[in-house]
Amino acid sequence: MTAARIRALALAALIAALLAVPYALPAFGATFWVNIVAEVLIWSLLAASVNLLLGYVGLLSFGQALYFGFGMYGVALSINAWNVGFWPALAIGIVAASAMALITGVLAVRLTWHYFAIITVVFSLIFYFAAMSMKWLTGGDDGVSFAPPPVFKLGDTTLSLADATVQYYVILAVVAASFALTALLVNSPLGLSFKAIRENDRRAALIGINVYRTRLTAFVIAGALAGTSGALFAFFGRYASASYMFYHVSGEAVVWAIVGGAGSLLGPLIGTGALILFRELISNIWEHYLIAVGAITILVVMFAPRGLAGAWNDLLQAAGARRSDTPTSAKAMTVGEES
Amino acid sequence: VNEFVFALAVNGLVWGLIIALIALGLSIIFGLLDIINVAHGDFFMLGTVGGLAVAVGTGSFWLALVIVPLIGLLLGAVIERLVIRPTLRQASLTIVTTFGLSMIIQELVRATYGAQPRRMSAPIEGTVPLFGIDYDVYRLCAAAFAALCLAGFFLFLNRTKLGTWIRAVRHDPETATALGVPVTKVSAFTFALGTAMALLGGVIAAPITTVEFRTGVDVLPFCFMAVIIGGLGNLQGTVAAAIMLAVLEGLVTSVTEPTFARIASLAFMSAVLLLRPHGLFAGATR
Repeated sequence: MTAARIRALALAALIAALLAVPYALPAFGATFWVNIVAEVLIWSLLAASVNLLLGYVGLLSFGQALYFGFGMYGVALSINAWNVGFWPALAIGIVAASAMALITGVLAVRLTWHYFAIITVVFSLIFYFAAMSMKWLTGGDDGVSFAPPPVFKLGDTTLSLADATVQYYVILAVVAASFALTALLVNSPLGLSFKAIRENDRRAALIGINVYRTRLTAFVIAGALAGTSGALFAFFGRYASASYMFYHVSGEAVVWAIVGGAGSLLGPLIGTGALILFRELISNIWEHYLIAVGAITILVVMFAPRGLAGAWNDLLQAAGARRSDTPTSAKAMTVGEES
Repeated sequence: VNEFVFALAVNGLVWGLIIALIALGLSIIFGLLDIINVAHGDFFMLGTVGGLAVAVGTGSFWLALVIVPLIGLLLGAVIERLVIRPTLRQASLTIVTTFGLSMIIQELVRATYGAQPRRMSAPIEGTVPLFGIDYDVYRLCAAAFAALCLAGFFLFLNRTKLGTWIRAVRHDPETATALGVPVTKVSAFTFALGTAMALLGGVIAAPITTVEFRTGVDVLPFCFMAVIIGGLGNLQGTVAAAIMLAVLEGLVTSVTEPTFARIASLAFMSAVLLLRPHGLFAGATR
């Protein structure tokens, strides 16, 4: 089997497994885990927004929690104020986050590397402190709660988030659609110019790419991904809280993206899944499991800087090179995945 | 009301001098190794926790003031060797490794010391009348001591051989290597020194702040503001910016909520970062 075949099979297996979750897990008496998987899916979008910037454009953002927060509050406040339905609320959350990313991005993407990381964390801190003090609007640390509207209503049939299975499939659908759109994006001409800028922004400018506008585009799309994640999380928890805008949330997303593998499409999902499952399994036995998470983070940067997905790709390539007659073909197949 | 404003300004000055010491540690690490150390606030926190532990254990605050920074020097050297040096090739990812380090430190302290915030009694009790208010003697001593340490640091940097080496490596590592400066060792020492300064600041601040595993989380953004506004790598600028910011926040706090003071200084910092990325005092020294 070639590397591409293995990869296609693995992807099909992953999709099948995710689709089966609400039926398979309760069959083993693990109903609780359905919600954990849903949570992994939601957070993986926040990691994906970090990954789009770091892995594809070469900008390390430490402030994606800001757009996550705008997604959350977009949903919670619009439902409370105007009583809008599920899909309009989701859209408002995503638009609010993207608009915020556009406003802050206009300034932030003028900077790169350390300066970019610092300005993104500073912007997120400004709005974190503002949200914490504007209790009349945001509820501060306690947050605001809301009653989620039905997802779908036709005659007598109503699909509601109160049904855990419906909730899971709604989340899976939105997350899968986001990942599919990201896949289309990174393989489009725009995605290629992202990678050109990541490799060398000066050369990219010389071949006619507008570096500033391309970076800004990526920043807004990343904001939309983070906003989608926040909006889904608001629906999931039925509330929005300013505490999710703190830089530790951004930092966690960076850790998930890097452990999973920055620069590979499904890396964020793998990293988020691995670390959240780790948390759920270990935190019952060992209260101070964060020590292990910190150690894992450092070890991954040290020994596998391209993360779990990078290690998996290397493994596939090695296997492919051993089995196929033309070793280069396996390599060519993976271009879409890495670099 | 005037006394109140005055007290807040003096508080700002005291706090600014301590922050300057910590931010200076962050600044030399950045200037030399080109890494952003997100765990620096937690080094400060280790200083407060360690200061309290040693002071309670030995019964002497002054002993803690000597021992804890020395532990910091050792700790910094170990961390540099184990965590920083192996990841230096991935310069952009050091933010991530130090974030991992920060998680480890905070959680280790929570596991051993507990999550309960504590207060430490000042080693010097009492107040002095100061322009119409009764002011804590210890706060004034802390400010004086921090100022002394700052002066000592600049003397060390400008007057000793090791200090000269540090400046040489900051300026041009390749030429420094060619001239026989042991660059790797100097880098390691610089990281250790920066760490020790954060712990020293922690011991000094321990009696005037809450001592818990999260203390560093609040201090880190403030240190970053000082470093950015002063100009990344500009050491005198860092000191000036730390004092200026702390006094300004103290003054703004006297008319409005502390949160707004923090938002104002963060907004000021973004303006500096965008308009004068090398800091307010760029061009003075670098």
